[in-house]
Amino acid sequence: MKIETMFRHFKEAFKSLVRNNWMTFAAVSAVSVTLLIFGIFLVFAFNINYMASELDKQVSIRASLNAQIDADQIDQIQAQLKKNPQVKEVNFVSKQQGLQMMKEQWGDDKEFLEGLEKDNPLPDILEIQAKDPQQTEALAKEIRKSYPNQVDQVDHGEGVSDRLLNLSAWVRNMVLVFGLGLAVLAAFLISNTIKLTIFARRREIEIMRLVGASNWFIRWPFFIEGAVIGMLGAIVPVTVVLLGYNAVVSILDADKAYSFFKLLGMWPLSLYVAGLTTMLGILIGVWGSLISIRRFLRT
Amino acid sequence: MIEMHDVYKVYPNGVKALNGINTKIDQGEFVYVVGPSGAGKSTFIKLMYREEKPTHGVILINGVNVKRVRDWKIPYLRRNIGVVFQDYKLLPNMTAYENVAFAMEAVEAPRRKIRRRVQEVLELVGLYDRMNALPSQLSGGEQQRVSIARAMVNNPNFVIADEPTGNLDPENSWDIMYLLEEINSRGTTVVMATHNREIVNTMRKRVIAVEQGVIVRDEQGGEYGYED
Repeated sequence: MKIETMFRHFKEAFKSLVRNNWMTFAAVSAVSVTLLIFGIFLVFAFNINYMASELDKQVSIRASLNAQIDADQIDQIQAQLKKNPQVKEVNFVSKQQGLQMMKEQWGDDKEFLEGLEKDNPLPDILEIQAKDPQQTEALAKEIRKSYPNQVDQVDHGEGVSDRLLNLSAWVRNMVLVFGLGLAVLAAFLISNTIKLTIFARRREIEIMRLVGASNWFIRWPFFIEGAVIGMLGAIVPVTVVLLGYNAVVSILDADKAYSFFKLLGMWPLSLYVAGLTTMLGILIGVWGSLISIRRFLRT
Repeated sequence: MIEMHDVYKVYPNGVKALNGINTKIDQGEFVYVVGPSGAGKSTFIKLMYREEKPTHGVILINGVNVKRVRDWKIPYLRRNIGVVFQDYKLLPNMTAYENVAFAMEAVEAPRRKIRRRVQEVLELVGLYDRMNALPSQLSGGEQQRVSIARAMVNNPNFVIADEPTGNLDPENSWDIMYLLEEINSRGTTVVMATHNREIVNTMRKRVIAVEQGVIVRDEQGGEYGYED
């Protein structure tokens, strides 16, 4: 195709967008509304995924060491575990450190713990993280079996971690299904709106066909129109979603009480949201216009 | 050259529009297609520019079997055929110039050639001074002249007109006829369906009369032959 022709297609597309300004406005609004829902949804999806992976990280095995074994043996076990391909990380937490952490957690009630330093009832602990969080339970069993004498108790927050892992998988599936459904709904809405613009111009198409314009020559301006509508439709929702998210993040950041409720930072999330939302807008715009014009090109 | 061999057309709703048409129109001829309403004139015309496909039979345009042409190739077939309608079919939001240029843009003609050629044909149809007017600012006769300019701008071998004077007063009708004759004198085949007795009887060209889907009369220098 000649550059001159492409230039003409762009000119025609923009002329038609301006000429059918109300129709354009309606189509862009329809895209905006659906993309706004999509954008909000996307932010939620990213954050739920982020939180789930954070929770996955926190699921660790705590192996209480027998008080009889000495530092050399501890080092030895630690080295062996580090070689295990299933293991991601091993941390030694001494009983002094353990008590310190407990005091921090208890905060104002820490006087209950006073005097325990002398006769610390806590065991030394090895904190082990599995490479694959799903394998935590299997790894815990393995450790129990391998060190029956050195390790008194292996604890991996059984029920809790399992439930967390299930929840995060469930949330991911929900995100996928709901997201797909929403995208289809948006595409349907947009294709209907673009059908209106094409309907308003069916005479033009009829004449183009009569004077011998090829099908692609007829399609191109509508193709571009759809893409531009999609792009324009993405501007408002991207702005609203990012500004809104920014506000939410700064409120939660200011109020430390919610610090366990860790949200993703603005960067690079804003890039993903803007990119994905705009891309989806263009995609459904183009798809919608191609679907709608199909029936006008039948001979 | 247009050839029709044993052409039948039955519409999906069961209407039998054409029942065995055999005819041949040579390059450079001027042909009137006449007949009562509903006789099949429009179908006859539509088959020529492949708006409709024959149910049975063969239509050859310059030797190409129209029925066999694939859908996506139809535009290329149409570039050889200019079409004129009773209702002009101009785009209301384009000027006379733009309406004619549109037909050249659609076949991707170079910009410079478009400007030269469009001015040329608008001059030929006598609307050079009105080229920036919108269709709503033009009279019916002027609008039809724009549509003829559009039909001929790509130098087609055929110009096919379906009742081009149907909406015009006698004076404007004659202007249109002189134009079509002018186009025909340059070697373009003109096929025109019409109800205008006066024009047919005065111009004395070949007349094909269609009744109930068959050709009942085909004579050179013929008459209209119906009492309306």
